[in-house]
Amino acid sequence: MMQRVKRYFRPEQLRELSLVFLILLIFLFFGTQIEGYFSPRTFNRVTSDVAIIAVVAMGETLVLLTRNFDLSVGSIVGLTAFFTGKLLTFNPDLLPVGALLFAIGLGAALGTLNGVLVAYGKVPSLIVTLGTLAIYRSILVAFPAGTKNVVTQDLPQWLLDLGGMQLFSIGEFDIKPVVAVGLVMLVIFQLVTSYTRFGRRLYAIGSNPEAARVGGLPSQRIVLFAFILCGAMAGLAGFMFLVRYGNLTPAAAQGMELQGIAAAVVGGVSTLGGVGTMIGAMLGALMINLLQQSLLRWLVISTFWVGALLGLMILISVTIDAVIINRLRNIWTQQGLEINPVDETKVVNEKESHDA
Amino acid sequence: MASVEAKAPVLQIRHISKRFDTTQALDDVSLDLFPGEIHALMGENGAGKSTLIKIMTGVYHSDEGEMLLDGRPIRVNNSVDAQVYGLAAIYQEPMVYPDLNVAENIFISHRSQGVIVNWRKMYQEAEKILAELDVNLDVRMPARGLTLAAQQTIEIAKAISLDVRVLIMDEPTASLSAHEVEQLFKLTRSLRDQGVSILFISHRMDEVFEIADRVTVFRDGRWISTLPRGEITHERAIRDMVGREIEDFFAKRVGQRGEQLIAVRGLNKENVFSDINFEVYGGEVLGFAGLVGSRRTDVGLALFGVEPADSGEIILKGKAEKIHSPEQALRVGIAYMTEDRRQIGLTMPMSITSNISLPMLHQYLSRFGLIQRQAEEATAEHYRDRLSIRTPSIQQPVAMLSGGNQQKVMLSKWLNTRPQVLILDEPTRGIDVGAKAEVHHIINELAAQGLGIILISSDMPEILAMSDRILVMREGRQMGIFTRQDATQEIVLTAAMGQDRSPLETA
Repeated sequence: MMQRVKRYFRPEQLRELSLVFLILLIFLFFGTQIEGYFSPRTFNRVTSDVAIIAVVAMGETLVLLTRNFDLSVGSIVGLTAFFTGKLLTFNPDLLPVGALLFAIGLGAALGTLNGVLVAYGKVPSLIVTLGTLAIYRSILVAFPAGTKNVVTQDLPQWLLDLGGMQLFSIGEFDIKPVVAVGLVMLVIFQLVTSYTRFGRRLYAIGSNPEAARVGGLPSQRIVLFAFILCGAMAGLAGFMFLVRYGNLTPAAAQGMELQGIAAAVVGGVSTLGGVGTMIGAMLGALMINLLQQSLLRWLVISTFWVGALLGLMILISVTIDAVIINRLRNIWTQQGLEINPVDETKVVNEKESHDA
Repeated sequence: MASVEAKAPVLQIRHISKRFDTTQALDDVSLDLFPGEIHALMGENGAGKSTLIKIMTGVYHSDEGEMLLDGRPIRVNNSVDAQVYGLAAIYQEPMVYPDLNVAENIFISHRSQGVIVNWRKMYQEAEKILAELDVNLDVRMPARGLTLAAQQTIEIAKAISLDVRVLIMDEPTASLSAHEVEQLFKLTRSLRDQGVSILFISHRMDEVFEIADRVTVFRDGRWISTLPRGEITHERAIRDMVGREIEDFFAKRVGQRGEQLIAVRGLNKENVFSDINFEVYGGEVLGFAGLVGSRRTDVGLALFGVEPADSGEIILKGKAEKIHSPEQALRVGIAYMTEDRRQIGLTMPMSITSNISLPMLHQYLSRFGLIQRQAEEATAEHYRDRLSIRTPSIQQPVAMLSGGNQQKVMLSKWLNTRPQVLILDEPTRGIDVGAKAEVHHIINELAAQGLGIILISSDMPEILAMSDRILVMREGRQMGIFTRQDATQEIVLTAAMGQDRSPLETA
């Protein structure tokens, strides 16, 4: 019985379950604290923000799985949102699909630069993306065309409509296009990571880069591709950001890299590579955002503490990973090989030795 | 395998040379590998075995010479090429992906696998391969936490699934217990019988003689001899390897038992080991024998405070001490030299000097809290002379040293803590014959100086020859302590494998 449980159920999944549990707990707690908390408005507001961060976090997860970091995603989101906004300001007749592809393509291009430097230039990803974090943001700030800000008046009507549109509603709970995109991405990338060769190789590379090299995996190409996808996802998030907010300053989405990484880490993605799921990253995003927004509405503590709380959550979840998950893992993976069942007596003997 | 020569060789290595800066790693080496033979390659570290493997698997490129597969020249530029040609290697430390499960580990490198992973099919095929190998291993189990033997089995399964033609096994048995070695040999023989050509590299002479059909010896990058098993003797092989006869391969030593340094009473750690009792006297070597999984290392780790025991007494010179941390263990005079020099034993990129002074840095600080380089270097020079560490400079990063010299650096590091009890965990694992003899000599000398030494080793001849008494463990239990006079290979192995036998001496 225990063997069966151990076989199909792993400690990592426990983490996702406990996240769901925690999210419910947070939700219920603030329900008792904030008036009108259990309302469709809370739902609608949280889901839109979560969708954007979750898309960033999922892209980030691809990179984290390979034992790399992408710190530039916040700048990529800001840059693509801003440039897509400007593009639409000057070309109001551009097809929506064109604008979307522009955002994704621009993000992918920026991700490619990161990936080439990391995979082929062999520069540590932390350094590369710290550099591009600053560079991408500077390009945005230095952008000379017209007024600095993107404002809703200049944007085409379809874009503004997209922000307010309800794809479908369940009672008063609306599913907006932004949320739908987030969910579709979740499904796609969960499948990519668990059911494609590329996905499994991401885990392999992060799990043991040396073995990947010796084993003939095209590591450089896979890492590059992870960065390109991460950039493309950030580009998509940039488009979603533009749809959601409309008014953008050059500081748009600043700091979103931290939220994205935090969401992934809280969701159980290991910064040491090889461990983590898309569902985890999404749950992490949900938990962080729910907590943030609820705290902002909770008048008991100052809003200044929201940031500190985010930091605390990262620390707690990393600690949980180090202590609890590892301990569970040890319980799970004690022994494994019985070449010809000679060792069958082992369990019995161990038991005996306790009693002795 | 007398008929081996009649077949055509599967892989021919022709006049291969490789130079690194000033070192001629390989000098005009030729070797034929036939299908269905186990070909042992022997030589001291630095003989060129690793370089040859790396050239065969595309990690290095030869300066001169060529390789022929089925008589046709091939170019192996990288590990992908090697895979395509059916050349695979497994190493002492298996190269698995700890976060992937067994089946994934087997198939991850497969080019033929589609873009979409069919989990069910993959599990089925993995199970089929493992069943053919007569191995019972859960294919859904992540590789993390599996025994080294299990991980190696994964690598063999992987090679088989890739239709391997030449399988290079580089020190595959170094970390395995006797029982696991036997199983590995069974696998190896069955691969041979299926027509795979196996290049088997090992420092363990007995194993080579047990399994090899032919034996090739390299020395200093040159080919020295290739002989069928029937024509080669231990003495001949050693002579070819070192170019001279080693007389006292295992120097006999008469122990002078001094005062009791450490006594251990009823040491327990839940789920790990239980009721361990022994004492070590000055000038004595207490051997810890047992198969892998016998938890010898865990007892060592408990004594050193890395993984403290749950209960029991550790008495140092008559005074009971609770050891919670390595710092405390060092304070009371216990040092532990780990078996794993690459991961935790040494800081590879740091210099010999810095590695040696690391645990005792507080003694090298000036009044202002700065490290006194000269004092540090004096210590390093001292040990370089004393243990004859062969290096151009004590500032050399330890990563650049050979295994034997790394071992000596690690030994220096712990000797410098001035221990009374020194625990040596597999001190000669993976180092060459010459360096091994040197380490043995050092151990004897240390004991003669009054140290109490606990020698954990999987090398049976070593433990029999070096120890005054031998404590045998099996799966966390102490099976008995045997004196040097009483201990034979059979007695120790019988105890280690669990047939109950009344211990001749229990402490």
